[in-house]
Order: sequence, then C-alpha cells, then structure tokens
Amino acid sequence: MAEYIVQMVDIHKWFGKVYALRGVDFNVGFNEIVGLVGDNGAGKSTLIKILSGYHIADRGEIYFNGEKVNIQTPKDAKKLGIETVYQEQALAPHVSISRNVFMGREPSKFLGFIDKKKMDNDSLNVLTDLGLKIKDPNLVVETLSGGQRQGVAIARVLYFKAKLVILDEPTIALSVKESQQVMEFMKQLRSEGISVIFITHNIYHAFQISDRFVILSHGEKLADVRKEETSLDELISLITSGKSKSEV
Amino acid sequence: MGKRRASFLSYKASFTFIVFVILVVFFSFFTPNHTFVGSNNIGALGKLIPDLGIISLGVGILMIAGEFDMSVASIIPVSSFVFINLLAWNVPLIITFILTLMVGIALGTINGFLVVKTGIPSFIATLGTMMFWKGVVFAASRMMPIGLRAYLEPGSTLENVLTGTIGGYFPLQFLWFLIISIVLLLFLHIHKFGNWIYVTGDNKNAARAMGINTDMVKIVSYVLVGFLCSFMSVMQTLRIESFTATQGSGYGLKAIASAVVGGTSLTGGVGSLPGILLGTLTIQILENGLILLGAPVFGINAFIGAGIVIFAILNVLAERFRTR
Repeated sequence: MAEYIVQMVDIHKWFGKVYALRGVDFNVGFNEIVGLVGDNGAGKSTLIKILSGYHIADRGEIYFNGEKVNIQTPKDAKKLGIETVYQEQALAPHVSISRNVFMGREPSKFLGFIDKKKMDNDSLNVLTDLGLKIKDPNLVVETLSGGQRQGVAIARVLYFKAKLVILDEPTIALSVKESQQVMEFMKQLRSEGISVIFITHNIYHAFQISDRFVILSHGEKLADVRKEETSLDELISLITSGKSKSEV
Repeated sequence: MGKRRASFLSYKASFTFIVFVILVVFFSFFTPNHTFVGSNNIGALGKLIPDLGIISLGVGILMIAGEFDMSVASIIPVSSFVFINLLAWNVPLIITFILTLMVGIALGTINGFLVVKTGIPSFIATLGTMMFWKGVVFAASRMMPIGLRAYLEPGSTLENVLTGTIGGYFPLQFLWFLIISIVLLLFLHIHKFGNWIYVTGDNKNAARAMGINTDMVKIVSYVLVGFLCSFMSVMQTLRIESFTATQGSGYGLKAIASAVVGGTSLTGGVGSLPGILLGTLTIQILENGLILLGAPVFGINAFIGAGIVIFAILNVLAERFRTR
C-alpha cells in the first residue's frame, strides 16, 4: 500500500507570464487533515485546482494511491474519489436538504422516479453521523445557517464515499461557533477514513484541526511540518516573514 | 428566521389560492343572474382554460429551469399553418398531426440550442425567434385566414378525441389539460429530471459540479414548451375551425404572468406545478368574470394588467410578512 493517498511532485504552472507554481511537492496521507495555508496569491487555489481537474499543470506528476494518474477534467478527479466543496457552488438554496444531498445522483427504484423515502432517510442519517441536528430533510437550504449549509455539502461527500475532500475556505464568513461546527465535520470525515485538505487564511483554524501544515508563498512551498514538530507562533512567523524554516 | 419547508404549495401559491377562492365566490354572487356558475359559462371555461393552461405549464417549468420563451406566440400560428396546409396537400390526418407536433419540437429545439450554445439571455434570443417565425408565417399566409372545413370534414377521430365531449357536456380539451398536468406534475416533482430542472434554475454551477448536464436540461425544457404549443395549436385550430395569423398572440407574456401569479420566480429554481395551474386558472377566471360583469371587452387587458401588478404587490407583501 502506498504511503500517501495523493502525491503531487514538482508541479509547475504558468498563467501567461505569471509563474504561479514553481515546482511544488504536495502530499496528503491517509486519514490525515492537511492545512494548506498562505497569503492571497500564494498558489493555494492553483495547486488545488490542478488536483481537482480545473487546471492542468505545465509540468509535474500526480500519484493517487501510489499510481500515476492523469487528471484532465473535474470528472477525472471525481472518478478517483477527489471531491471539492466550495461554499457558494455546492448547494441550490431554494431546494430541500435531501434533494441537495442527492443532487444529480437521486436514488430511484422505477423509471427514474425518485425514491423519496430512501433519499430522506439516508440524508437524515448522514447528517446525524456528522453531528448536525436537523429533524426535517425537506427544509429548504436557504433556511439553514452557514455552518449547517457546509454540513449539507460535506454530508454529500461523506455519503458518496469520497476518498479525499478538499474544503476551500469553509470557515470564511462563518461565526466562531459555526466555524467550530465545520471543524467537527472535518474530524468526522477523518474518522470515516477520508483525507481532508483544509484551505484557509485562518492559521488559528488550521492549527486547531490539522495534522500537518503546508505553507505556500509566491508559488513555492515554504514549509511542510507536522503539528507535533511546530507551534502556532512558529507557523505565524513563517507566514509573515515569508521565509522558509532553514532561512529563519 | 422561519423554517420553510419545500412543499408542493409554496406560501406564495397558497396565497394565490385564497385570492382564487375569493374571485370564484365574488363572481358567482355578483355576475348578472349568476352567469359565472351557469352551465353555459362553465362549459365555455372548460374549453378556454386548456388553451392558455397548457402553454403556461410548459412556460412555467422552463422558468423554474431559469429561462424564458417569448416565441410561444409564434410557435402556435406556425403549427396551425402547417397543420392546415398539410391537410390541404391531402396528407393523412394522423400523419399531419404527428408532423405538426414535430414542428413544435423542432422550433423548441432551435430555441434551446440558441440559448444554451450562444449564452444570449433567453428573453432576447426567443424574442428574436418569436419575431422571425411570426414574419415567416405572416409572409407565407399573407395574413389571410384559412378555413379548416375545406380540407377536413367534421367528425374525424382526431377531432373527436381532442375536442369532443364526454356525455355531450364535459369538454375533452379539459381532460387533455388534466392528463398533461398530471404527467408534468409527476415529472417535475417526483422524477429525477424534475430535480435537475430545479437545481439547474437555482444554482447552475452547483448542478454542473454534481455532473448534471444543465444544457441538456434546458434544451429539453424548451422542447417541452414547443411540443405543448403545437399540441394546443392543433386543439385550438380544430375548435375555431380555422388558421389565423394572429392565433396565440399575447400568449407568451400571459403564460409568464400565469406562472408568476402562481408563485414561480423570475430568476429560476422556485415554483410548483400546482402553483402554475392555480395562476392560470386565476388569470382566466379574472378575465372571464370581468367580461360577465360587463367590463368593456376591448379594454379587458387593462384590468388583467392591473390584476397582475396587484398580485405581484401582494406577493411581495406576503413575502415581507413571512420573513419579518
């Protein structure tokens, strides 16, 4: 068995004259939450978009479960079990919770007619597994809080057995309490055997939950440290100085 | 924040229901000699309601998918023109009927591809096809009406099936309207494809990210509208026994109005089939009742227009009241 679920090796990406990624190595282990942190323009989203098939790297290799893979489209990534959760792009606000969880993959017993009982029961179960207290899967998503909405989007990837979930700024614009709730969801994913990439600006959130931290700056990897090998202060000084550990 | 359930009847539509009931009661009491509930008027409504009703069902579903179709007012006369001309060329009736339906499907497909592939706002794209086909049918017919009876004897099977009556009273048009409503109700509310229509209209990016072919969903919705237009056009042509170039004029906007009165959102993702039905019934009953009350027939649009605006205002007030 491979050591990592995902290995990205020597990834380069240019956008016209902009050298966005300058030979980044990025690994995610099994059952691991990796905090991917760095300032705006550091290359976090570019790296993740390459992994999820929205961009194609100009140079570099990706290994999934130890095997070399060629991810050209978001569909390719999904096929491997890599799911990305974007807050704004995940849900249809005027449609019910269960219809959102099963969007595009509605269960059916007969000629494409929806098996509503299964859809409602299963979405309620998976939400309960996540620790979300929702009684009625027929509520429209619009009526939920920001944290609960994240929960619905995460319930979907949990239900459909993703292997690696990428959460892009899931705690942005959430209250303190709701952010804590979303981080509980991540722990739940890890305990179900799903690896998580947690992209965030918020180093406090990242520190609280991640097993490992990867810091990007100006398209290069500044640091790649396990939680037990570092401290919050060290991470903050790494990010603000923009210099790698050996240079400091 | 109130907990709102995604139920068959959204609050907006149930509000329309109250107004609908009030209108029915009002017209029943106040039309001279209670003609509104007289058997003649009920019979007439049974034949009239399906015309706009069938179109509104298609247009409303398309609106839930997030798009408009202004071209229905042209698909209707084009279908009618094709129907009568095929009969004039001695094409067998049943084949004529099928070919006419194909015309509606073809025009709907063109609309769908135009909107999806070019990315032009559908309002503009279908305004364009509306004027284009209207010009074609005006030129081809030279605006002259064509009588049906020269080419089709009364009593054909198609005519009996589409526009006959049950027991000499219940108009079959209404039965067809009910059948289409039930089929679309199942399709929209408990079939997978219905869910794809809602999520496509509500958040296209989310639907795409979940692997739903949103272009296909929209094209199918346009095809549905085209099909329903040509089906209704054949029914109407059999009933009025002629083609007129202005057949169906005003239906595009009236169908949108019906859907909106029934709680359908102009931005997609919100609406329900019972709501659309209710909206159509309400608008038609408003029109019919006002005429019976002696409102000037040629000025009836002024009343309908005012009614639609009042509905919209009441809906906004109801929404505010609910979210306060």
